[in-house]
Amino acid sequence: MSTISIISAFADDADCARAIDALREEQIRDFNTFSPIPSHKIEHAIGRSRSPTRWVSLTGGITGVLTGLAVTIGTTYEWRLNAGGKPLVSWPPFIIICFELMILLGGIFGFAAFMLFSGVPATVTAPGYNPRFGEDRFGLIVRCDEAEAGRIESILKESNAEEVVREEAPLR
Amino acid sequence: MAAAPKIPLDPSFSDIDRSVLGILRAPGLLYWAWIGFCFTLVGIAAALWARQIYSGMGVTGLRQPVMWAIYITNFVFWVGIAHSGTLISAILFLFRTKWRTAVYRAAETMTIFAVATAGLFPLIHLGRVWFFYWLLPYPNERYLQPDFRSPLVWDAFAVSTYLMVSALFWTMGLIPDIANAREAASGWRKKIFTVLAMGWQGTDRQWRHFSMVYLLMAGLATPLVVSVHSVVSWDFAMAINPGWHSTIFAPYFVAGAIFSGVAMVMTLLIPMRKLLGIEDLLTPWHFDNLAKVVLLTSLVVSYAYITESFMSWYAGDPIEQTMFHMRYFGPWGWMYWVMVLCNCVIPLLLFSPRIRVNMMALWIITIFVNIGMWLERFVIIAGSLTANFEPSQWAGYRPSITEIMITVGSFAWFVGLFSLFVKFLPIVSMTELKEGIVWLRKALRKGYANAA
Repeated sequence: MSTISIISAFADDADCARAIDALREEQIRDFNTFSPIPSHKIEHAIGRSRSPTRWVSLTGGITGVLTGLAVTIGTTYEWRLNAGGKPLVSWPPFIIICFELMILLGGIFGFAAFMLFSGVPATVTAPGYNPRFGEDRFGLIVRCDEAEAGRIESILKESNAEEVVREEAPLR
Repeated sequence: MAAAPKIPLDPSFSDIDRSVLGILRAPGLLYWAWIGFCFTLVGIAAALWARQIYSGMGVTGLRQPVMWAIYITNFVFWVGIAHSGTLISAILFLFRTKWRTAVYRAAETMTIFAVATAGLFPLIHLGRVWFFYWLLPYPNERYLQPDFRSPLVWDAFAVSTYLMVSALFWTMGLIPDIANAREAASGWRKKIFTVLAMGWQGTDRQWRHFSMVYLLMAGLATPLVVSVHSVVSWDFAMAINPGWHSTIFAPYFVAGAIFSGVAMVMTLLIPMRKLLGIEDLLTPWHFDNLAKVVLLTSLVVSYAYITESFMSWYAGDPIEQTMFHMRYFGPWGWMYWVMVLCNCVIPLLLFSPRIRVNMMALWIITIFVNIGMWLERFVIIAGSLTANFEPSQWAGYRPSITEIMITVGSFAWFVGLFSLFVKFLPIVSMTELKEGIVWLRKALRKGYANAA
């Protein structure tokens, strides 16, 4: 049995999410979506775990604090400047540097994680992509056996898909 | 300048794209003349800076005891201007404020250019600019290191972090919009947009990570924005100079920064919406809400002025009291009262709902606020230095043409960069407008558009 792709377009993200719910109920999980806006409805329907980027950003933040401590304390011992008899390692001002570096590295790590996990920069166009999906339509691409195609097409149409097109090649 | 296509009262996603991308059409001769004018002023300022580097700081009006004046005023002013961008893009994002979607890109863009402008002033003020890297720790054979107990070092870290994180946040928001522009563009623009969009296609995988990191960035930028102007205020508050040494400086400066920043957003956006023909996207509803932020922060700033005066009187320190007396009634007293008029009295007009949707009135009020906030920084920074502890040290200050022209050049640099951005990248976020389309439709139906 050959694998094919079904490309569907929706005018509304709620319809697209409904179609995804219906597909998942039927144990069909080989699909992907395109959308012009981030849609919580679609995200919940797909049901993936939360993005791991937050852990990378947290790691960046912790690295920033540790770097701040290392830089401030380390350089203070390298250049021992006695300012009015104040302690060499003066915590309150050092916290400011640690805080700024926490934000800086948390942000840089977060951005890097976004690029890494989301595959940006991408050099190839994702299969089934259509410029309309960046403008005003929500795209749902389902890969399935040819025998299942009819059932899936009817699920998509029942969920108010504006357009359902069958592609003979399995778009991956 | 050709106007963008009008959008209907019940706009669709495509209408938003058409209207925003319509702004990016090739600009006319008038636009290039304006850009040329701005960058001519920047060129003059750059030449004067070069002369200052060559001749030394003697070409400025800086003399003992007033060694911090217009340059540092400009630094604080521009960092303050930057704050509205992060407030609107990050803090209001976390609060899920509906009206921010149309104005946040312009405000965030302003942040980037304002921080880039602000960052130049410590360098200009430095005199021997080639030693700027002494502010940062680096391995060297003499084991010399910066003193992390100095607020100037905190400043270097805070402002550079702010620039970097704001730039990343701004870039992230731009990616989906540039991908949209890529699809609509042709020729060299398409090639550039294709590179800048980095292959964005809006897949569920991309949006999933985008949403999480965008939220994280907003969460990181929110305490950052508060810390940056607090650190800037500590440049003064950590010194024992009368008029500077005050514990209320951090919240006072942060409120002032948001006040001046939001006013600057309005000063730029009011003519821009008219010139670009995007009155339907930036409706009086948006300006009404921005005006409320200006009004609120004006009241906070007014309260800070009163508290500052009260603290000086109640503390009973004669030196501090003399300084404040000089501030109100000394040779520069007029500046203080103009500042009070611009920052505390004129913004009270914004209590009127009719004025809050009258674009011309708003524009004039926000220009007064900008003038008032620049004067506030000047009064605090240079004014406090003129009346120091020893009356024998008291002296005036007269800015030189170098300082004045570099200040004018900084405004031209900021406005020029903003004008360039407006015509080459989407100044209104299509993605966020689409997300909040229900609210845009409501604003249009309410007839706010006609009220303008």
